[in-house]
Amino acid sequence: MQTNQQAVESNGMSIAIRLRQRALGTLANIYYSGKYLSILSVATILTAWFLVSYYGLANPIFLPAPESVIKTFWQVATVGYQGSTLLEHIGTSLYRILVAFLLACIVGIPLGVLMGTSRSAHRIFNPIIEFYRPLPPLGLYTLLVMWLGIGESSKLALLFLSGLPGIIIATIQAVTDINPNYIRAAKSLGAGRWALIREVYLPGSGPTILTGMRISLGFIYTVLVAAEIVAATAGIGWMIWDSAKFLLSDVVIMGLIVLGLTGMMMDQILKICGKIFMPWTRIKRS
Amino acid sequence: MKKLILSSIGMWAGLSIFSAGAFADKPEEVTVGYLNLVNAQLVTKSLGLVQKEMPGVKINYIKVGGGGDMLRAIAGNQVDFGGLGNPPTAIGVTRGLPIQGIMVLNMLDFVESMVVRTSKNIKKLEDLKGKTIAAPFGSTTHYLLMTALADEGIDPASMKIIDLRPNDIALAWARGDIDAAWFWEPALGAVLKDDAHLFMTSGLMAARGYPTWDVGVVMNDFAEKYPDYVNKFVTAECKGIDFWIENPAETAQIIATELGLALEDAARMMKGTEMVPCAKQLTDQYIGTTEKNGQFVDTLIATSEFLFSQKRLPLVAERSVFEDFIDPSYLETVVQQ
Repeated sequence: MQTNQQAVESNGMSIAIRLRQRALGTLANIYYSGKYLSILSVATILTAWFLVSYYGLANPIFLPAPESVIKTFWQVATVGYQGSTLLEHIGTSLYRILVAFLLACIVGIPLGVLMGTSRSAHRIFNPIIEFYRPLPPLGLYTLLVMWLGIGESSKLALLFLSGLPGIIIATIQAVTDINPNYIRAAKSLGAGRWALIREVYLPGSGPTILTGMRISLGFIYTVLVAAEIVAATAGIGWMIWDSAKFLLSDVVIMGLIVLGLTGMMMDQILKICGKIFMPWTRIKRS
Repeated sequence: MKKLILSSIGMWAGLSIFSAGAFADKPEEVTVGYLNLVNAQLVTKSLGLVQKEMPGVKINYIKVGGGGDMLRAIAGNQVDFGGLGNPPTAIGVTRGLPIQGIMVLNMLDFVESMVVRTSKNIKKLEDLKGKTIAAPFGSTTHYLLMTALADEGIDPASMKIIDLRPNDIALAWARGDIDAAWFWEPALGAVLKDDAHLFMTSGLMAARGYPTWDVGVVMNDFAEKYPDYVNKFVTAECKGIDFWIENPAETAQIIATELGLALEDAARMMKGTEMVPCAKQLTDQYIGTTEKNGQFVDTLIATSEFLFSQKRLPLVAERSVFEDFIDPSYLETVVQQ
């Protein structure tokens, strides 16, 4: 009975100690890895925001107080904004982003490999990509709306086109940067064009392609609001655009924060996918 | 670091001297944001009447697509004078934008109308169910569309109502993407020739007790610094309104040139909107006088209540907020002259 008690106690003790050690370990990790700098910078911005609105230094139309943004967040999450809840808005936007991103990968990576390995392919496609890449998305969008209408296809097309060049250019770069010795070695072992692509080009260019994918996703993200301006009725970008018309700046700021956080999350997911599917990159990149 | 602080203090001092200089009696430039629709502001602009009242001041005109964009321009302090329909005015005033309403720009009749696709056989509002209808959100016409539906007890969720600007409506109409739209001239005229007819007008809604209008506004900062220049602006706009009323033929010519329209289209559009002579604007039907505000205040309150019910406004402001917003004093000075 007593020993049992003791055992429980010592067990409890050890759990407490272990927890404390873990907490200390986490703290130490945060300190030594320099993560506290990131925490500090975010905390500074949040504190500044709070103080500025607390002391009434900013007009609430332009900078609403943090608590009103939180309240708005809760309200949009539970009641919704103009017919859709926050999750539905996020879902609509994520659907558009992901479809466009997948299409950009499906088209961009093979095209990039082709352009990186064949000089003629490079000559054929390069001028087209270089021409439309710097076009401002809204200029392009006007034309897309004329061609494809005000529905979903013009929005997806705009997002797709803004994501495509990043992937293609990164893929070309990745393929041309591969150490020629690898290619020679593979060729001397009798590898054909397809085997080369499968065994040398793709694995060797994986990390750079992944970077291209991350850049491309970022580009798609930046164009989201523009894509949802015309005739949308849901989506985070639309919510930001619509609420600005009604001067609901708390919804605007809340929407931007949600957009930023989901963007960071998707970038992290891409990084993790990279680590899982390309284990050989783990050494090179953290 | 010290250098940076010193230089920023220097800059700040320089700026304050500069702005003290600008405090003199004359602004360097005046920016007028005007709505892309048919009213006497086009006459004022074309005849350079504001410039004539303000010699030596640079006058900038910025064309703004609709009320929502105008609100953004005002919130961003990009204009000195602007024009707003009653729904954006209700939004801006409730949200505390630093503006004052100084005159009536126009009363809206069939210059703002709902067109329907003739081949879709839409005879009554009920027939819009399941169709796609466009309106610029936050504007007068969006407000009237939602009001008309609410009046007949039709659920807006039973149709697809989308946000498009007038020019985009014309584009979407040509492609066949939409079945009905409530918007305004000049884009309206382009649509009317293509399987379309007028179904409802803003004038009909005014007769039902939902008047819509555009009011001229000035930024508070500007009005405090240069009250004389607000008078000058109102004088110029009043002259434009008088010109519109007295010279319809020449006005049509001006509008046709300004908007790049055929003369007969310009003449038709002109009839769809009413210009109110400045002396008449001081009566109870419009903005009223400093002692007693006119019915514009009632319209603003009714509009706010509706927008609140649509969850477009967080609250309905007190009557006094709207009374403070409307400032007939400039108009009174100008009319007395």
